[in-house]
Amino acid sequence: MKSIAFVALLFCAIGFSSSNNLICNTPELDIPKEWVDMTHGCIGKMREQVLEELKASMQYMAMGAYFAKDVVNRPGVSEMFFKSASEERDHAIKLIHYLLMRGELTTNISDLIKRNLVPPVTTWENVVSAMKAALKLEADVTRKIRKVIEVCEHDTASNPSNNDYHLVDYLTGDFLEEQYHGQRDIAGKVSTLEKMMKDHGKLGEWLFDKKVQAGEL
Amino acid sequence: MKVFIILSIFCAAAFAEDYCYKDARRACGTKLSLDMKNCTAKYGAIERAEASLQKFAYHHFIRSFDYLLLSTHFANYQKNRPGFEKLFRDLSDNKWHEGIELIKYITSRGGEMQFNDVDNLVESEDGNFDLHEITAIAKALDIEKKMANEASEIHHRIWHKSVLHDPEITDYIEKEFVHKEKDLIRKLAGYSTDLKDLLNPEDGSLSLFLFDEFLQGNKLF
Ligand SMILES: [Fe+2]
Repeated sequence: MKSIAFVALLFCAIGFSSSNNLICNTPELDIPKEWVDMTHGCIGKMREQVLEELKASMQYMAMGAYFAKDVVNRPGVSEMFFKSASEERDHAIKLIHYLLMRGELTTNISDLIKRNLVPPVTTWENVVSAMKAALKLEADVTRKIRKVIEVCEHDTASNPSNNDYHLVDYLTGDFLEEQYHGQRDIAGKVSTLEKMMKDHGKLGEWLFDKKVQAGEL
Repeated sequence: MKVFIILSIFCAAAFAEDYCYKDARRACGTKLSLDMKNCTAKYGAIERAEASLQKFAYHHFIRSFDYLLLSTHFANYQKNRPGFEKLFRDLSDNKWHEGIELIKYITSRGGEMQFNDVDNLVESEDGNFDLHEITAIAKALDIEKKMANEASEIHHRIWHKSVLHDPEITDYIEKEFVHKEKDLIRKLAGYSTDLKDLLNPEDGSLSLFLFDEFLQGNKLF
């Protein structure tokens, strides 16, 4: 299994030294760099945020898994959390695409993502507590996006300090927009669920799950 | 001793269907919090497979991240290989969704997902994703073979090493992984062959352009 990689590497190594061999590397390019104008501190913050989105994603994954268990059995809620997990991954990919569009991510690609992202919490008392945890998680992500905006709007790591107008606009208009709508949606669901459960406890939760599953909330 | 163990497992299996019923009868009229701990979806050999399925699912997410990095790498303006970007993105998406499906499968058999079960299988690899086109394909081929072997190991565990026969699990592994991995491995090996032939000093640079263009229009799954 490893031999294929080894052979490929070997071919590449030989490619440098003699002619008529496998050429793996493309020629050194001389592309002007003036257009690559994101600044150091801002880039770092953006790269951190990619990881934050993926961490949130794996946390939602754990929620989806917990409520999928037969002894918990909240299929609607579980599916909702699995969907959120994939959405958070999409956010990470959107940030990556933005960086690529601006000419970034040409170096140090391997440490952009920590591969082993174990979610810190894996069980919840009930649906309400998980939804509240989700709301707190979103608020935390929002706070971090705001921090990225702050740094990118006034990046003191470069001299003179830099304002990345376009990125700041993108994060504000696109990312924060989605955060605030998402938070309002979760908060509304928490409110509905708590009221459904006030006098009826588990019956309320069961009904809530069915409503979520049918897309009626 | 062995006979005794097998006998006791048979006895357990023979009476298994009554356990939940007894629990339910005992629970009726008592405090609500009483556990009906035999009323789960667990049957057959799932407990033998659960830990390895959890690990397998978790590996899917790690591989999804690996492929996302490769996809990103080929999408930077210097690499600028939209075909390779798409290939690795498709692989990343595929691993991600299969990981979710695996969690759903584990819970469909009464199990649960655990995320902290990482062995050194992944940590022992070099985590370098700054690769050339052909070495990236080679890496993907290695990863997929590891995935295929892991699926086979789970299958073996249930088919040969479990006292309880559980065709549902082995069939699931076959249907969802064994055959699909075969196709994927074959495709990647084919790409590796093509690149090996095309990357000579005269054609190399243009070959990669054409091969990338081919990948853009090619369906991996
Ligand atoms: Fe997000």
